[in-house]
Amino acid sequence: MNKQILFGIIGTALVFYFTLAVFVLPGVFLANEQLVSEPFLEVELSESEISLGESFRINIISENRGEYGDIHIVSAAFPKLTEIDDVVLVATYDFTQSPSYIIPGEEIGAKYSGGLESVIAKYPSIEAMSRPVLPDSTYHMDLVITPTESGVFPVYIKSVNIPHVTEKSHFPQNGLLDHQNEHVLVYSINVNP
Amino acid sequence: MTVTESKQSRLLSQYSEKIFLVGSILTSFGILLVTVGGSWDITNHLLSKPETFFSPPHALMYTGVAISLVGVIVSFIGWHNLDLKKPYSISFKIKLIGIGMLTGAGPFDFVWHSNFGLDGLLSPPHLTLIFGMLLCSIGGMVGISRFLTLHPSKNHITSYLLILGVIPVWLAGSGVVSSLSLPFSNTDYFQFNPEPTFAFIVATLAFPFLTSVSMFLVSRLSNFRFGMMSLLGSLFLLIYSSTAIVPNFAIFDSVLFYSLNLIPFVIADVVVSFFKSKKLSLFAGALLGSVFYMVYYPYVMYTFNEVLLGKLVSPSLIYFVYFEMIQDVLAITIIPAIVMGIFGAVIANRISKKILICK
Repeated sequence: MNKQILFGIIGTALVFYFTLAVFVLPGVFLANEQLVSEPFLEVELSESEISLGESFRINIISENRGEYGDIHIVSAAFPKLTEIDDVVLVATYDFTQSPSYIIPGEEIGAKYSGGLESVIAKYPSIEAMSRPVLPDSTYHMDLVITPTESGVFPVYIKSVNIPHVTEKSHFPQNGLLDHQNEHVLVYSINVNP
Repeated sequence: MTVTESKQSRLLSQYSEKIFLVGSILTSFGILLVTVGGSWDITNHLLSKPETFFSPPHALMYTGVAISLVGVIVSFIGWHNLDLKKPYSISFKIKLIGIGMLTGAGPFDFVWHSNFGLDGLLSPPHLTLIFGMLLCSIGGMVGISRFLTLHPSKNHITSYLLILGVIPVWLAGSGVVSSLSLPFSNTDYFQFNPEPTFAFIVATLAFPFLTSVSMFLVSRLSNFRFGMMSLLGSLFLLIYSSTAIVPNFAIFDSVLFYSLNLIPFVIADVVVSFFKSKKLSLFAGALLGSVFYMVYYPYVMYTFNEVLLGKLVSPSLIYFVYFEMIQDVLAITIIPAIVMGIFGAVIANRISKKILICK
């Protein structure tokens, strides 16, 4: 083959490659919308009232109602406790990661920032996590709680998906704000003396 | 020594050389499995965050270690019975040091996991493993190359063994550079992430050099046989795409973008194989160096993001951040990348000369 023709082909191929790889395709990919995964929660309480020394169960069923996501987190926090100790036990769970226990004083993420903003935990919580999270996937965690004091025993429950792209990336989307400045569902049990 | 004994001795030596070749092939193949498992392991850690040592990528990696160990033992059997040991001694010695580090890294890694939980990319056991991989793969490559030089065959198929010899070197070298540049090494116990500017410099200089060296080595060792660079490059792209892109659902559609990298590899192959001109070889080296940011997609993004954007990147956002930076990264790195690509071509030429001289 004539050398000049070969150089011509090489030159054209290089222009094609660099144009496509550096200028055309990046624009195409950046124009794609980011996938938005949408968590949803259903919570069942075994009792609304118990006597001191008795236990109740919280069954949390979470779901991804949106698109593919990287991480799906469900958090159950206990604002009346200073430590989880034997008060809260994880009876069953089917999240892909083992539940992690957060203790007061620990640095934790805030404002759905994925860790870019942080606060100090004021009360203990349990975080269950699955990663990655496919559309329509469901997970559950069953907690057994035995309060040690009488009165109202509140539990804050929420779910956050990462990447946190829009308001739909967390559930609930409104309501009470917790120590992480994130919305929570509040469930309370009366513990009679 | 009688004539019969002399014939027997020559025959034994010939068989021993073949046994040494088989040992080298097994060593290289084993390291190939380790490197594929390693790349898959990085993706697995990013996507699924495994909580135990016993994961499929680890199983693949340690299967590779076992095969390499068998390869080094077979190499020893072959080398021990050779009449003329010297051409293969350097290959055997490198493999021996490498396999010592590799086999030591296994229990070391297990103990590390047991004591400190999930470890990062850069940790003492991983560094031992990666350098062991690099040495074993170099030993395997030298062994295969020397056998093919001493026993030139009319059957061109044997020269494809060089691809099996070079690809683990390239991948293991990439492992070394990745561990020194990717910010995947901070854990609850240790903060081993490389300093961002240092990582930026390492990636900018080492990845282009490594790409160029590997491609020129396979070309030079095969006496500039056309197709070797293209095949090696294709295999590299196939391994990276199947371990780093395909498992991540969110970036799966960027496989097409990644496969474009075959174009500069084929161009470099054509230029080096058909023209055999020094200037054009340097041009090919420059080209191979200049495309490193595209060839090392997607994880190289994490290194440059640390300095240029500082964004929090979860796995499904990888290509948004990657493509956001692509023009800036190229503008900053293109000149050093070209220089390192040319340097890689020159160095590969010198290394291959030393490998091919079998005194």
